[in-house]
Parts: sequence; structure tokens; C-alpha cells
Amino acid sequence: MRILVVDDSSTMRRIIINTLNKLGYKECHEAANGREGVERLATIQVDMVITDWNMPEMSGIEFIKAVRGNEATKHLPVLMVTTNAAQDDIVQALHAGVNNYVVKPFTPDTIKDKIEAALKPA
Amino acid sequence: MSIPEQLLTQLISATEEVFERMVFVPVTVGTVDGHVSAGPHRHVVATVAFAGHRNGFVSFHSSIDTANEIAGAMLGIPHDSVNGEMPDAMGELANMIAGSLRTRMAAFEPAWTITCPSVTIGSDFSTRYPSEVSEARVPFTMNGRTVEVEIILSKR
Repeated sequence: MRILVVDDSSTMRRIIINTLNKLGYKECHEAANGREGVERLATIQVDMVITDWNMPEMSGIEFIKAVRGNEATKHLPVLMVTTNAAQDDIVQALHAGVNNYVVKPFTPDTIKDKIEAALKPA
Repeated sequence: MSIPEQLLTQLISATEEVFERMVFVPVTVGTVDGHVSAGPHRHVVATVAFAGHRNGFVSFHSSIDTANEIAGAMLGIPHDSVNGEMPDAMGELANMIAGSLRTRMAAFEPAWTITCPSVTIGSDFSTRYPSEVSEARVPFTMNGRTVEVEIILSKR
């Protein structure tokens, strides 16, 4: 499975990709913000997107709206990984179109469970 | 005004959780000190401010060697291979501690807004605060090294 990881923190991208690799997801791509994520999705094929919320240039919420607004990517499962975990934050993210939500700091088991849940047919 | 006990308790829990899950190294909390030392030090300070129901900031303090060790642990690389990655790692560490504290406190009061992190690295510098703040510094021991998490709360 191919996964695009979008986060402005290079540290967090590395932690997420290390976690994905340990879980068996070996083909991971990176983008440093939402705008770069949109550009990457125009040039590569992925099966899932994992994105941060707070990023420069284009936030995670704006990025998800762009993904959902594009015929070629609107079907992609999207996980949001963020420290924004108050109830209002989660409601806003769900309205924007995320399939599932992971709160930092996370465990590998949480990532595994959320990916599997997001991949299940509705 | 002192730092509310609930805020300190949640700050300690948030820090322990971040180290356990993202640094993969447990920390042991020490005695909370209400007096913030003024330096000078040769070290790293990563800060995230918050505003809303409460106003202030959370800072993570460590030596540069310890910061490199933490960054290496987060990235899954030897600490002596850490080079330019350390500032981003320290900013993310502070972001997760402050974000987790915000989430925990949102169970009791309106959620705050937090800022993006800033990281100061250097020597022979100190930080001063106006008298209108409350302050506490919580020491943690990690692999025999001491790091500190500081919280500053505005009285306004």
C-alpha cells in the first residue's frame, strides 16, 4: 500500500514513516504542507493520505477539502494526525472529510487500528 | 497566584506520555520548583505559547547533548548522527507536550489556542519575566540526564 504523509515537521514525518514501515507499509511518500501534498497527488498514485492539521501555506483542513474536491482523489482514505484533539477540533475535521483521527502522541497500535478502520468499506 | 495543581498534574502526565510514546524513553518526574532559574546556560529551549481561557506558555529545557539524544531517539537514528534535525525535533516535542496539555485541560475548561513552536539554542542567555506571571518548572530524569518542562501563566 502506498501512503502519502503530509506534515511540516520533518521529525513527525520521519516518526510516522518509521511507524508505517514497522507496520509493513513500506512505500511512503512525503510532503511538507497541504499545497505540496496537492502537487504530489497530481504526480503519484497513493492508496491513503495521512496529514497534520497545522501547517504553513495550506493547512490540513484546506488540504482535505482540496482532496475531496478533486475527482481523482476524492475517494482516498484520509487520516488526520494532530495534537488538536478537543471535541470541536474533531467535529471540524470530520466535516472537512477525514475518515479517521489520530491524536499525538500516538502508539503504533493506534496508527494500525485507524488505518485498518479507514480502509474498511463503508 | 500559583500554578493550579490540576494544570501541573496534567502537564506532568502529558510530558510522561509524550516521552513514552514518541521518544521511546521513560522519564521520572522530580520535585516541582516554583522558582524559575534565570541562567545563563548553554542549552535548548523549545516554547509553545497558548491563549484563550488561560494565557501563557510551555517550554521544554535541556542541554544540547540531551536534545540531540532525544532527537535521535525520536528519529530512530544514533544521537551522534543527529545534525540539523534537532531544532525541529525539539519544536515538535514542545508542540506535543503543549497540545496534549491543551487536550487534557479541555475536559475541564474551554480549549485554548496554541501557537507554533519556537526553539532557542545557544549559550550565555537567560529569560526574564514580568511580575504578572506565575511560574513553575518540573524536572524529569531521562537516562540519568535532567530535562525540565516549564509553565508560565499570565495573571491577566
